[in-house]
Amino acid sequence: MTYSSELIKGTLKTIVLKLLADNKKMYGYEITQRVKELTLDKIQITEGALYPTLHALEADGLVTTEVEYIGKRVRKYYSLSPAGKVKTKEKVKELANFMETMISLLDIKPKTA
Amino acid sequence: MYCLCDEQIDFILNDLREHGIHTESLQMNLLDHICILIEQGLEEGGDFREFYTATIPSFYKQELRELEEETHFLLRSKGALALLSRSQFFLLLFTLFIGPFIAYDMLVFFISPEAGKMAHTLTAWSASLVFSLFPLLILVVLLLTPARFDPLIPRRAKILLGIDPLIRILPASDL
Repeated sequence: MTYSSELIKGTLKTIVLKLLADNKKMYGYEITQRVKELTLDKIQITEGALYPTLHALEADGLVTTEVEYIGKRVRKYYSLSPAGKVKTKEKVKELANFMETMISLLDIKPKTA
Repeated sequence: MYCLCDEQIDFILNDLREHGIHTESLQMNLLDHICILIEQGLEEGGDFREFYTATIPSFYKQELRELEEETHFLLRSKGALALLSRSQFFLLLFTLFIGPFIAYDMLVFFISPEAGKMAHTLTAWSASLVFSLFPLLILVVLLLTPARFDPLIPRRAKILLGIDPLIRILPASDL
């Protein structure tokens, strides 16, 4: 089962920021693959959602970039800026609170083995 | 693993440009992403054009330019306080125009002495009615103007309220 894009859209910035916090520097394709791997294919970030989000994070000063030339093409690596590190903590905390609220609101019982 | 030659990389880059990806940084990102997908997915001696044509639709819903538009939209939305539809924006304008008059009318109603309260209130409300006719007329004209004669706030446009700039019109093509 893969989650709908509507569900993922609101959490995409948080996902990207947390991945960058855990992996120092990453490029776009690497981010999509890491998310697939960590979620066992349940979350598949589309290129159409990822790259605009990365550009917005860069414009907000939350990530910094460096480029690597691979023959004729350029690979752009993203890493967290100091402001991005602070923001990541805030976003993860906010999402955790939100999830707790949703569990309580929807009366979801935790799975027992 | 398939190895892309310079001509194929140029082909991808030109195709991205032709399909509305003009931001250089976004071109770089997409080019690298597509190259990796082709290098990992296409077998040695495979058909590059066929594989490319089959791969690229997974990047968008209707058109590739959506990525460019989404990127611009997110960049423009920076620091935005609210995103309003055209009708919500007009409603807000109307409320701002007429709100002070309504507030004044209510004040007159409550502070007028009992003797002549009705007369005072009616006078104030009549004045408000006259003042409200002007913005109301503008609203009616704007709402009835055909889209082709409405370059200022086109139909389906969104209005972004922020601090700098205060108001930004986003045409439907940017959304």
